[in-house]
Amino acid sequence: MKKFAGFLCLALVFVLGFGVVNAADEAWWQAAAAPYAGTTIRGVSESTPPSNYVKDVLAPQFTALTGINVEFETTSWDQMYDKAIKDMEAGTGIYDFVYIEQDIIYSYLARDFLVNISAALAAKPELASPEFSMDDFTTFLDYFKNADGDVFGIPMEAFIKVYLYRTDLFEDAAIQEAYRAEFGTDLVPATTHEEYTQIAQFFTAYAEANGLELWGTTVQAASGHPASFYEFFESVAPTFGVYNWGINTENWKATVANGGEMNSDAAKAALTWWLNNLQFAPPESTSSTWDEVAASFAAGRAAQGLVYGENAAWIATDPDRSRVVGNVGVALPPLAAGVLEAAEAGDGYIGYYDGGAFGLPITSKNQDAALLWLQFIGLPEVQADWAVAGSRVTQQATFDEPAVIAADEATNGYYTMFKEQGYLFAGAPAFPFHAQVREVVAPFIYRAIAGELSPADALDQAAAAADAELVNLGYGS
Amino acid sequence: MRSKRTGWLLLAPTLIILFIVGFLPFLYVLYVGFFDWNVFSQEAGMTFAGVNNYRRLVFDTDFLNAVWLTLRFTAVSVLSQLVLGFLLAQLLTRDFPGKSFFRIVHTLPLMIAPIVVGAIWRLLTIPGLGPVPYFLDRWFGFDYRIGQFADHAFITTVLMDIWHWTPFVTLTLLAGLTTMPIEVTEAARVDGANRWQLFRYITLPLLRPVILTTLFIRIMDGLRIVDEVWMLTGGGPGTATRYVGIHIWRVVFPKTDYGYGSAMSILTLYFTIVICWLLYVSISQKRSSD
Repeated sequence: MKKFAGFLCLALVFVLGFGVVNAADEAWWQAAAAPYAGTTIRGVSESTPPSNYVKDVLAPQFTALTGINVEFETTSWDQMYDKAIKDMEAGTGIYDFVYIEQDIIYSYLARDFLVNISAALAAKPELASPEFSMDDFTTFLDYFKNADGDVFGIPMEAFIKVYLYRTDLFEDAAIQEAYRAEFGTDLVPATTHEEYTQIAQFFTAYAEANGLELWGTTVQAASGHPASFYEFFESVAPTFGVYNWGINTENWKATVANGGEMNSDAAKAALTWWLNNLQFAPPESTSSTWDEVAASFAAGRAAQGLVYGENAAWIATDPDRSRVVGNVGVALPPLAAGVLEAAEAGDGYIGYYDGGAFGLPITSKNQDAALLWLQFIGLPEVQADWAVAGSRVTQQATFDEPAVIAADEATNGYYTMFKEQGYLFAGAPAFPFHAQVREVVAPFIYRAIAGELSPADALDQAAAAADAELVNLGYGS
Repeated sequence: MRSKRTGWLLLAPTLIILFIVGFLPFLYVLYVGFFDWNVFSQEAGMTFAGVNNYRRLVFDTDFLNAVWLTLRFTAVSVLSQLVLGFLLAQLLTRDFPGKSFFRIVHTLPLMIAPIVVGAIWRLLTIPGLGPVPYFLDRWFGFDYRIGQFADHAFITTVLMDIWHWTPFVTLTLLAGLTTMPIEVTEAARVDGANRWQLFRYITLPLLRPVILTTLFIRIMDGLRIVDEVWMLTGGGPGTATRYVGIHIWRVVFPKTDYGYGSAMSILTLYFTIVICWLLYVSISQKRSSD
């Protein structure tokens, strides 16, 4: 029995670890990691499909290959930041790698929380894997560079927030006929906000008439969670041509009176449109963060919605978690006139290009071992299955992997859209004060969702509060 | 002399632990409260601000709203728990079929961690998925949405707190009731006292120390509530359930405004002490006048 158990362990190690890289590279990894064998490195991240893949698959593979143990906490978004920032600020050195969401990198860089990975690899060539190259990554890597072009985070997930719709509903002949009879146009994914609302209204009424648990759209409108702030400022406002949260990056002002756009007519129109959609959304919408929006769509409770791309693959393909497998289509978000042209010209963007990287805190006590780990998750060999499991792509070549091509078909073109039109989307603005301004502005969005404030009043007050907070933080005067 | 030294020696481990995990952090928070310290501001270090943080707090409507909301929450939930707890304690002094089973079931919520209580109530009440909104809609046509309507969220947090902590009040009052000298009650009965007079002049005065202790504990718990509400509503909708603990948490952690958040914590502690002291004085004075 003991022999059999030993054989199983050996087989597992072989399957997990040695299958990942080729024989010559295995030798390199083992030699490079030999001084650190038995070391345990610790990391923290948000519990997302890509992070869970790291925890369940990549960490065991790395341990099998190098003998370096990886303890990886996947927790809630709030807790992840709370733990990482406190650790780095206090210098306790608990974590050897931390998740850096694209929107927080500027804050971390401003505080010198992170190790310069480019410099570290240059300084220790014996730790630089011959298989690993920064050149393999998409331009998403640029978000994690400083002004000198040095890299401070190895991208581990990247995706776009897309417009998902139910192909089974949109392609149903009877529904198409009913839609045409009511509106005189074909039922196709919306390209404008008016069309989107019309479709949402139609499906809500259709479901009510037919006794279905179905609504016209998802809305990520948790009325006490920053998820609603993000949906509005990063996914909805840009489709109306309001970028960078409406903050003027020249003078750090948000109010129109001071040169900002947070309370501009376009922003108010965007908030009005978004809140109006709540009447066509499932009742859980005002309690929904990004996770619940994905769950609602996967449960078949919405005909369309803006959904984070990290969820697109499992919604479209995993029958254990989704009731709409095979019935998911993807499209660009609905846009106001001129926004697409502006984005194509590089003068704006149409939605959120989300993602994150693993960075190495300067307080880490196992920086060398962690440096190896960060390169391991950046190997081309580990990307394809990870891309399928988490709908994330960080390297250009991953799009051409057979597994990803198959997943692209299953998701009706999510990966193709990501590859070919990803440039139309953008990450969060380069604000070192990201969380601070968000915390000041978000309560006004919550109150607008709850109906305590009109959209116009909410944005007027939010913009004034943002101006005051920016001055308080030392930005502008 | 020897027994005194032994007493201090036995107390020493507890005192040392309390000093390290209670008093030192308190001193640190007190110290930080006199500084401007936001790690993501342009001047990331600590800048001495004197009492400026406290001055800002007096005019901070968000903070004051959170304090007022917390006081409302505490008043409604603690009074409800006291009344319900007393009635249940009275019930448990009598014999009835299934009493042991009821007592166990009734005590179960006490054993659940606050964060789990929040999760349970979230699953029960989340619109569109939880059974509570489903049945309220189906049976009464009532559109119950804690993510949308402020009063629904507030009442739900109060109900959750009552559900969680009434057993504690019941148990403490039951302990008080069962240790009351029966001779006094019997003598009053012999003298012709009715039920109300027994309650007003015998039970209530004898239970007063227990009630006072229970009130203190529950008021302090109520004023610092975070976990359950954070899990259930996150402080929303809007700021409808953004009690002072959640407000402080958002200022200190997501906003990383350590100095201002520390000042908030100290002022909240001060409020709590003042409220408990006022309560104690008013009850003590009433007791001596009785």
